[in-house]
Amino acid sequence: MSLEITNAIAELTPHFEGYAYPNEATPHPLWTVLIVLYPYITGLVAGAFIMASLVRVFEVKALQPVYRLSLLTAFGFLLCAPLPLLLHLGHPERCFQVMITPHLTSPMAIFGFVYAWYLMAVLLLELWFDYRHDLVVWSQTTTGLKSTIYRLLTVGVTDTSEPALKLDARIGHILSVVGIPSAFLLHGYVGFIFGSVKANPWWGNVLMPIIFILSAVVSGIALCVFNYMVLMWLRRKLVDMRCLDVMGMYLFYALVVDAGIEALDWIHRVYSAEEGFQVMQYMAQEKLFYTLNLGQALLGTLVPLLLLGSLQLFRHKVPELWRRRMYFTSAMVILIGVMAMRWNVVIGGQLFSKSLRGLMSYKMEFAGLEGWLMSAVLLCLPFVILAVLVKLFLSEKLPSSEHA
Amino acid sequence: MPHRFHLPPQLVRIVLLAGGIVGSYLVARYFLTPPSFGDYGFYRGAALRELADHQPVYAGRKACKECHDEVVLKLEAHEHKNLACEGCHGAGQAHSDNPDIKLAVLTYSHCVRCHEKNLSRPKWHKQIVSKDHYAGSKCTECHVPHSPNEVP
Amino acid sequence: MKNSYSRRSVLTVLGAAVTGVLASPAARTAKAAVQKVLASTGAAKGYDPTRHKWVMGIDVNNCIGCGLCAEACKRENHVPEGPYYRTWIERYTIAKPKPGSGDARGAATVESPMGGMNGFKDPELSKDEILHSFFVPKLCNLCQHSPCVQVCPVGATFDAPDGAVLIDPKYCIGCGFCIQACPYGCRFLNPRTRTAEKCTLCYHRITKGLQPACVEICPTQARVFGDLKNSGPDDPIQKFYRNNKVQALKPHLGTEPRVLYAGFDKEVS
Repeated sequence: MSLEITNAIAELTPHFEGYAYPNEATPHPLWTVLIVLYPYITGLVAGAFIMASLVRVFEVKALQPVYRLSLLTAFGFLLCAPLPLLLHLGHPERCFQVMITPHLTSPMAIFGFVYAWYLMAVLLLELWFDYRHDLVVWSQTTTGLKSTIYRLLTVGVTDTSEPALKLDARIGHILSVVGIPSAFLLHGYVGFIFGSVKANPWWGNVLMPIIFILSAVVSGIALCVFNYMVLMWLRRKLVDMRCLDVMGMYLFYALVVDAGIEALDWIHRVYSAEEGFQVMQYMAQEKLFYTLNLGQALLGTLVPLLLLGSLQLFRHKVPELWRRRMYFTSAMVILIGVMAMRWNVVIGGQLFSKSLRGLMSYKMEFAGLEGWLMSAVLLCLPFVILAVLVKLFLSEKLPSSEHA
Repeated sequence: MPHRFHLPPQLVRIVLLAGGIVGSYLVARYFLTPPSFGDYGFYRGAALRELADHQPVYAGRKACKECHDEVVLKLEAHEHKNLACEGCHGAGQAHSDNPDIKLAVLTYSHCVRCHEKNLSRPKWHKQIVSKDHYAGSKCTECHVPHSPNEVP
Repeated sequence: MKNSYSRRSVLTVLGAAVTGVLASPAARTAKAAVQKVLASTGAAKGYDPTRHKWVMGIDVNNCIGCGLCAEACKRENHVPEGPYYRTWIERYTIAKPKPGSGDARGAATVESPMGGMNGFKDPELSKDEILHSFFVPKLCNLCQHSPCVQVCPVGATFDAPDGAVLIDPKYCIGCGFCIQACPYGCRFLNPRTRTAEKCTLCYHRITKGLQPACVEICPTQARVFGDLKNSGPDDPIQKFYRNNKVQALKPHLGTEPRVLYAGFDKEVS
C-alpha cells in the first residue's frame, strides 16, 4: 500500500502512511510553524490586554503594578504579529489587497481592519491617554533623543491640568471597555478561521474560537507574570507579592475555564466519534504524542493546575520564595503548553489526509523562511522590542504618575 | 454670538489624526482597486480574459481531421472511433501550427497502456496479458491501430 | 489656548467638502492615469460567459485507469513536476470480507501513484480476494456553494458566470486558505508562481470551442463534458444524467458539487 511520490528535495523525503490525496503529498504542510506562531503571538497580545483591563475596567487595584507592563507587552507583541504572516504569504507584496478588496465572506479578510483598529484605536490610544501626563513631564525633564521622542508622542498637547487628566482617565476607561471585545475579535477571528473549515474535522467545530480566546487569555496572563518577574529580577527589586498572588489567582481560574472547555471538546469528539474520528485519533497518538500529551496536557495544563490550585488553597502556608518559584514555573509551562496547543491545532489538522485514510508528516527545516531559526527570531523579537519600550516608558529613573 | 464648541485639545488632535488615517485609506483604496474589479462579481473581471488567452497544447481531433481526413475517417468507422488522436500520437497543437514539427514515434507501450489486463479495469474492456498474448512482439504485427480488428 | 469652532471654521470645512465632491471627475481621470486602464473588457473575445454553464460528469463504470487524462492535464496546463495535480485518478480496491467474520465487506485500499499519470499496476490482492476494484477520476467538483470561494480573503478565486471556478494568478496572495477549505483536495500551491492553482476546466480551451484536455484524451468517455445552457436531450451530458443514478462526493458538507459521479461504491470519499 505504498504511495509513490516525486519529491524535488531528495533528502527531506516525507513519511506517509495510508492514502493521502496526491496534492497533499507535499514535503511539508501548507500552513507551517509560522502559522502556529501567529495565533500564539496575537493570543499573547489579547491576553496581556485582558490583564490590563482587569485593572482599568474591573478595578482590581492589586494588579496596578503590572498595568503599564501589560499594555507595553501587548504593544510590543502586536508589532511583531504580522511578521509570520508576511513571511508565509506566497506574495507578501500583494498583502495590501486584503484591505483594498476585502472579501467579506472570508474571516481572513478581517485581518487588516481588526489589526489596524486594535493597534491604533485601542492599544496606542489607551497607552497615549495613560501616558500623556508623563510624556509631557518627561519631554520637559529629559534631553536629547529621548526628549524628542517624548515630545513627538505628546502630539503637541501639553495640557496637564486637573480636568484634562480627569478626561484622560475617563477616555482610558472607555477605551479599555471597547478594548475587551476588540481583543476577543483580534484573536477570536483566528480561531474562527480554523473553526469555519468544514473540510477539516480537526478544525471545523464551533468551540474552536472559544478555545482560542480562552487559551489566549491564559497565555497572556502567564506572559505578564513572566515579564513582571523577569523585570523585577533584572532590576534587583522586590516583587509585589500581593500583585503576584492576584495574578496567580486569575491565571488559575482562567486556566480552569480553558481546560474545562478543551476537555469538553475532547470528550465530545471521543463520545460522538463522527466521521474521521479514527484517523484523527491515530494521528494524535502517532504524530502529536509528545506535543499533545506531554506539552499541552501535562506541562501546559495539569502541572500549572496543580501548582496554582495548591497555591489557591494553601497560599498562607507557602513561604514567599516558594510561591514565587511556583508562579514562575507555572507561567513558563503555560507558555510552553499554549504554544504546544497552537501546534497541535494548526499542524495536527494537516497531518492527516482529507480522504481520512492517511497520515502525512512535518519535518521542520533549520534555516529558511519557515524553519527553526526564523521561529526563534520571531519569538525573541517581541522581547527585544519590549526591552526598548520598557527602557523608554517604564524607566526607573523617570518619575511616573500612574493613575490611581 | 457665534456658537462655540469647546473640544479638549487631546480629542481634537486624535480626531484629526483618525480622520487623516481613514481619509488616506479611502484615497488609497480608490486608486489601488484594480480597474475591472467587480465587473462580474467580487474579482478582477480581466482575469477571465487572461485565463482564456493561454495557448492550447492539445489540438483536438477536428484539427487533425483538417489534414489527415482519410485516416480519421477510417478511425471513425472502426472500434477505436472514440479515441483521441493525441492519446496515442501525443500533443498536437505545435504540429498543427507548424507541420514540420513531428509527433512522437509510437511504441508498444501505447497499446498496453489501455489494454494490459488489470483486475481493476471494467469487464467490458478488451484486455490481454501481454507476455502471454504474443510475447516480445509488436502489437502492429497483427493489429492495425486505426482499425483494430483488421489483420495487416 | 482652547480650541473652539466658530461659524467661519465650520463653513471652511464644508466648502472644502463641496470642492472635494466637485473634483471627483478630475479624481477619476487621475485614477485612470494611475491605473493605465486598457480598452479591453473582462471576458474572452467573442465569448459571453453568461450564455454557458459548463459541467463535467464522471462515469466510473467506463474508467480504465490508463492515466492519459492526468498526463494530458499536466502537459496542457504546464503543471509543475511533483505532487501537484489538477486532476488525478484514484484506484479503490474493496476486499471480500473474511469468510465467517460476518462482515458485509472487507477492507478498502486506495491508491494514486503519481496521480495515476502512468497508469496502475495490478492490485495487490488476487482476483478471488477482490469484491470490487475500480478507478475514480477526481477533479474540482465545481461546487454550487464553493467553500474555497467563500474563504478567499481578496477575491482572487471566484465562481465564473459560466460555471468554472477559477483563480486569478495575478491577484492571489498565496495564503492557502482556499486549499485548506477545499474538502476534495483539488487545490494546491504552485511552487513556481506561489499562488493557488486547480482545475480550470481548461478555461482557455472551452472558451474557444474545444473540450478540456482530459475529456478530449479520454479513450472510454469516462469524463462527460457539456454545456447545460446549450445542450439538447441527445448531448452526452444529458444522456449521462438520464441513464445513470448519480452521486456527489461528501454530500454531507453542503457544498452541492456539480460534478456528479455514476457507479462508485460507498468507500469513495
